Amino acid sequence: MKKTIAGSVLLALAMGLAAGGAMAEPTGQFRFADQVRLVTMDPQRHSGGGIPYLRPVYESLFELDDEGLPVPMLATGYTVEGDTVTLTLREGVTFSNGEPFNAAAVVANINRGVEIGVLEGLLSVASAEAIDDTTVRITMREADPSIIMALAGTAGMMIAPAAMDDPALDRNPVGTGPFVYNAEESREGEVRVYTPNPTYWEPEEQDLARFEVWEIPDDTARLNALRTGQIDAGIWLSNPQAAMIDRSPDLQLIRNSGGLNYHVIISDRAGSVVPAFADRRVRQAMAYAINREAFNQAILFGLGEATWQAYPTGPWSNPDLSERYPYDPERARELLAEAGYADGFTFDMPSIPIYQSRLEALAGFFADVGITMNIVPVEPGTLARRSRTTDFPATNLVWNTVGDPKYLGLRYLNADGAYNPFQGAPSEDMAALVAQGLQSVDTAERSPAYRQMAAQIADEAFLIFVANTPILFGVSNATAENPTVHYRYGQDTIDMRGLAPNQ
Amino acid sequence: MFRLLLRRLLALVPLLFLVSVLTFSFTAMLPSDPVDLILGDTGTTEQHDMLRERMGLNDPVVVRYARWLGNAVQGDLGTSFFNSVDVTRAVMQRMPVTLSLTAVAALIAIATGIAAGVAAALYPRSWIDRLATIGATFGQAVPNFWFGLILVAIFAVNLHWFPATGFTPISQSPWDWLRSVTLPAVALGLSSSAAIARQVRSAMVGVLQMDYIRAARAQGLSARRVILRHALTNAMVPVIAVLSFQITVLLGGALIVEQVFAINGLGTLAITAVRQQDIPMIQGLVLVMVGMVVLVQLATDILYGLLNPKARPS
Amino acid sequence: MTQATPLRPRKLRRPGASGLITGTAILILLVLAVLALAADWITPYDPLRQNLMHALQGPSANHWLGTDDLGRDVLSRLIYGCRIAVIAAAEATAIAILLGVPLGLFIGYRGGWWDWITMRVVEAVVSIPGIMVAIVIIALLGAGLHRAMIALGILFSTSFLRLARGVVLAEREEVYVRSARVIGASDSRILVRHIFPNIAPPLIVQVTLTVGAVLLSEAGLSFIGLGVQPPHASWGTMLNTAANYMDLNWFLAVPPGVAIIVTVLSVNLLGDVIRDNVGRGIATAPSAAARRRKVRPAEPVTVLPAPTEDEVLRIEGLTAAIVPEGGTETPIITDLSLSTKRGETLGLVGESGSGKTLTGLSVLGLLGAGVQVTQGAIKLNGTDLLTLKPRELEQVRGNQVAMVFQDPTTSLNPAFTVGSQIAEVLRTKQGLTKAEAWEKVVELIHRVGIPRPEERARAYPHELSGGMAQRIAIARALSCNPSLLIADEPTTALDVTVQQEILDLFRDLQDEYGMAILFVTHDLAVAADICDRISVLYAGQMVEMAPVAELFADPRHPYTRGLLSAMPHAASGEPPLPTIRGSVPRPGAWPVGCRFGNRCDFHTAACDHPVPLEGQNGRLIRCVHAERFKLEAAS
Repeated sequence: MKKTIAGSVLLALAMGLAAGGAMAEPTGQFRFADQVRLVTMDPQRHSGGGIPYLRPVYESLFELDDEGLPVPMLATGYTVEGDTVTLTLREGVTFSNGEPFNAAAVVANINRGVEIGVLEGLLSVASAEAIDDTTVRITMREADPSIIMALAGTAGMMIAPAAMDDPALDRNPVGTGPFVYNAEESREGEVRVYTPNPTYWEPEEQDLARFEVWEIPDDTARLNALRTGQIDAGIWLSNPQAAMIDRSPDLQLIRNSGGLNYHVIISDRAGSVVPAFADRRVRQAMAYAINREAFNQAILFGLGEATWQAYPTGPWSNPDLSERYPYDPERARELLAEAGYADGFTFDMPSIPIYQSRLEALAGFFADVGITMNIVPVEPGTLARRSRTTDFPATNLVWNTVGDPKYLGLRYLNADGAYNPFQGAPSEDMAALVAQGLQSVDTAERSPAYRQMAAQIADEAFLIFVANTPILFGVSNATAENPTVHYRYGQDTIDMRGLAPNQ
Repeated sequence: MFRLLLRRLLALVPLLFLVSVLTFSFTAMLPSDPVDLILGDTGTTEQHDMLRERMGLNDPVVVRYARWLGNAVQGDLGTSFFNSVDVTRAVMQRMPVTLSLTAVAALIAIATGIAAGVAAALYPRSWIDRLATIGATFGQAVPNFWFGLILVAIFAVNLHWFPATGFTPISQSPWDWLRSVTLPAVALGLSSSAAIARQVRSAMVGVLQMDYIRAARAQGLSARRVILRHALTNAMVPVIAVLSFQITVLLGGALIVEQVFAINGLGTLAITAVRQQDIPMIQGLVLVMVGMVVLVQLATDILYGLLNPKARPS
Repeated sequence: MTQATPLRPRKLRRPGASGLITGTAILILLVLAVLALAADWITPYDPLRQNLMHALQGPSANHWLGTDDLGRDVLSRLIYGCRIAVIAAAEATAIAILLGVPLGLFIGYRGGWWDWITMRVVEAVVSIPGIMVAIVIIALLGAGLHRAMIALGILFSTSFLRLARGVVLAEREEVYVRSARVIGASDSRILVRHIFPNIAPPLIVQVTLTVGAVLLSEAGLSFIGLGVQPPHASWGTMLNTAANYMDLNWFLAVPPGVAIIVTVLSVNLLGDVIRDNVGRGIATAPSAAARRRKVRPAEPVTVLPAPTEDEVLRIEGLTAAIVPEGGTETPIITDLSLSTKRGETLGLVGESGSGKTLTGLSVLGLLGAGVQVTQGAIKLNGTDLLTLKPRELEQVRGNQVAMVFQDPTTSLNPAFTVGSQIAEVLRTKQGLTKAEAWEKVVELIHRVGIPRPEERARAYPHELSGGMAQRIAIARALSCNPSLLIADEPTTALDVTVQQEILDLFRDLQDEYGMAILFVTHDLAVAADICDRISVLYAGQMVEMAPVAELFADPRHPYTRGLLSAMPHAASGEPPLPTIRGSVPRPGAWPVGCRFGNRCDFHTAACDHPVPLEGQNGRLIRCVHAERFKLEAAS
């Protein structure tokens, strides 16, 4: 398959409403708040939330348009041929430290990312090499239908090669973005300050003199910050504070495209730490024990919807799975009794503050059927990382429904899956479905495999999906009326390019 | 006075040294392996070994302690295990926040505590005394964080007089700083105010029965003058010891009150560091906190000397 | 001894109020214990049973305290929280005691390096804010109720350690002092026998303090997520939840908050009561004087001579009483009349409780709280002081009348230099400038016979000898040249050799300044030395008044006689012989008739009726047998 994108047209599209931006001096400021603590600003060691801290500085090779399709950013086009992906690069771009953005820089980035091995988007990549100054060839380990999507995210974020040697790269990001990180004015654990990049390749897209990302994990504090005008916009999960934003006449709750599908992951599928988990009936009992509708109403304040699979709607969704596990504690107790756990069992579950009430609700459901779930707090920002270790027999995360379904395999199903720390091998059926899904890049061709996979996952019940919520931004009315604020498709960030201060 | 100060300062060195030994040996006992913390489950065994070597973790504890102390003396408390954040810088960035919170709380506690204590002592068994005594007894029973929540509910959420959360540096806007620090400082200062009020009342009652008070009155000095100058000066002597202790308590209390008001001070840093088992950060925090406590003790010692001539070297 | 002491009530709280508070506190703690024990049976709902459809509800008939974010019953969680609170308090306190007490006993007993090192470590730990210590220990042990309580136990063990060590050290001293070793018992056995009774009371007090602190700390740690872990209900975790839902349902913060406050309050109040009872209580204040009562005018006075030109002080029919709030008056001075003139020294002599010091203080208007003049007049240079407003009286003090107290080391303020204390009077009373005042200070200090006055003026009271301090006090009293000086046992606290010098100083100064002196003393020898006339007081009454020579030559009242015969012979310095049996009756217990009656060898039935003060020519006596003694003396 071969596909080239005409750069300029789609670029304008990506800018949304920013068209007509005159060459004015950047003015004013915009303050954004993230709900997770900043762990690292090194995109290639980055996992979990916190992308808003990176976006002002780092641009990716591609960008997603409002339909979720890749459009050019630092790369102007690509071709996929078998196991190789060829990228054409934008010319005239420099990093903020003065280094040129060219094929050598891209190669250095991709190879570093592959070597570090944190980014799952690069797990399918073997290596990259420069063909000429503006052409890069990426050699794949295996066919990957979503490689371009990956290069629109952290995997495609370009770090200045010289900065890679800085051991403190996690606090001194250097990219090509419209902003540079201002370490002097930033306060650790509190706020990151970004100021315009003087060497930005498209200065007409720089309309803002100062961008701030505040680190406010406390939902109430973030809400107060929004109310008092300390921030202009922030990320929210479906929690009481989001509900209050939705009700407040002075604030608006923006429901962005895509969704976050909250699910419980049974990591210890072989039962090496919690023997009960080895029994499928136990896992199914857990799925039956959850009253998803009540969960949505009480915990998510009705902002979400009950789910039984990774993709509630769309091509990857299996319509037969709706109400796959209706709320049935009686059935759950029966299954537990059959499995020999009539008296229940106990396991530990990691928690960060934003999931506290979700987990307490789940613990309550499980307690109803005799299962004791101990909630163990971990530091905000480390849940994803801790979930990749054998520290906990089970965990809980959100699944971004914008992502490619291949990640179900890469993360959860394969024995070496990032979120399969106990390295339980998939069943034969499952392994076959994982492989089948990668055979094509065509959605229609791949769809049956993933629908089947969804059913299989539901059946094996080591991924217990609970509820899906849209990505929520809480913003002030001024931000809501600001035509230059553009929410990235399926992501918890806003577009830095063309962003102007609120009126 | 200067020599006394110098002598007191020198006497602090062993204490700080001991604290540093305690902190270091204690944190060395933490169950987590720093290399695992840093690399997580990424990285090869070779990478783990290399990092271990580079961080000097293969050296004996004593060597590591000596190196750490050597750097600490020069103001370098090392780098967080968790990210490349410089501990000294992180602590110093947060310190003004916690310090201003503690300082304002201490001022509130001292002012209200002394006023209430003096008033109660002046009119024993009057309604003022009863109110102050009941208030002080309650004040010592109210958890500071709960009081903070109630203050937020009333003054921030309902009345909108103060921001509910956050902290504005004084350099940015003194007025906003005052607004942001008032509620947390009041919440924090309550129990200390109560403790000080009790102590002042008891000391004042004792002092007011002293002959020199009656003698001063017999000389025709006004009641006001006798109470404010003669009685209070002497009553403050035992109160000073309580003040010093209360400021330590306030510093600790600030760690929790900061959570209520989502203030990014040393407390938030400490709790994060503990959850992450970020050893250099914990070590640095403890050392800096003890340093602050010790300076407060020094200041109160000097104050004690000023108020109590008997404690002064002749 | 000044006589003011018995007038300071010891107890602050009325027994009724104290009992009520203690009772309530104990009741609350008992209820708490019962709730903790019986939580399983009495809670209306399972504390973990959630009902998401009924989340965040206010109080209702079904849920008396409403429901939380997951629809769990707040009341049930609160009751289970009692159990956590009890476990937390018991666990942490027990660990603190088990760790602190033995270690404290050991190092206290062992001493030496063990003691030194342990105490330095304790000091270091104590210098770290407590909650930080707990947080660091939790970093080591991990979060959770029991681990957090171990952390708190370790933290609070330092206070038990210091307490136990202190008791051992004190008892060691005690044991050596008593030379108990002579009996043959070993040190350690004696220590053990002595320590346990002595450590128990402070230990109990410390336990109440610790329990209160543990409850607050547990709540704090749970609040920040390092203590009890959700979904289990502790008051701290309930508050943590409440903090998130403040905007939606602020009431969630109320039940756990009130529970913590009430519990800690009860423990603290109980601790206060225990502390008061084991004698480490804080000083309590006497009651404030009830509203100033109107002073009744004096009955016509017959025993005083008519006022003369040079009369300075004239007290007419003075009656003072303890006036408790709402209680009945208890007289302490009754119907006292006396006068004194320029250049005269009038002695007021009597035992403790006779009312002599109070007479002096009543002139100054400085009777202690709860004591008031109820009748009579105190005329100073013709003005009745009892009619003056407080401000006017302040003007009189220092300027017209001043007082020298018994103990110079306590009557000078330890916080200021002696010179500044005199200067202060000069500046506030006479409006002198700083320099003028200081010049006068030096002059005065020189005048009272202190060498190097410049230097001494800058000394603090504790740097001066008793005699020198008393000279300073005299200098201060005379600084504004008062017409009356009240000297309250000014030599009693001094060495015998110094006494004489001070008395000489009084005489010299009186010659120079010409003031009248009201000299209060229990020591007839001193009175004989300095006074012109002596008035003998007994149980709030004057019993005899005479010029000094006459009194000593011809004492007429049996009490005066008793006093005289109890005087040591001037030369021998033997202790006085207790020839008067019994002691002065306390105010309120005075006999109706002669107040000396029950101690008097000459008591007859006639003495059981009130006895008037009678006589003339400055010779007064209050005794029905006066004529008889007069005749005896003449024969």
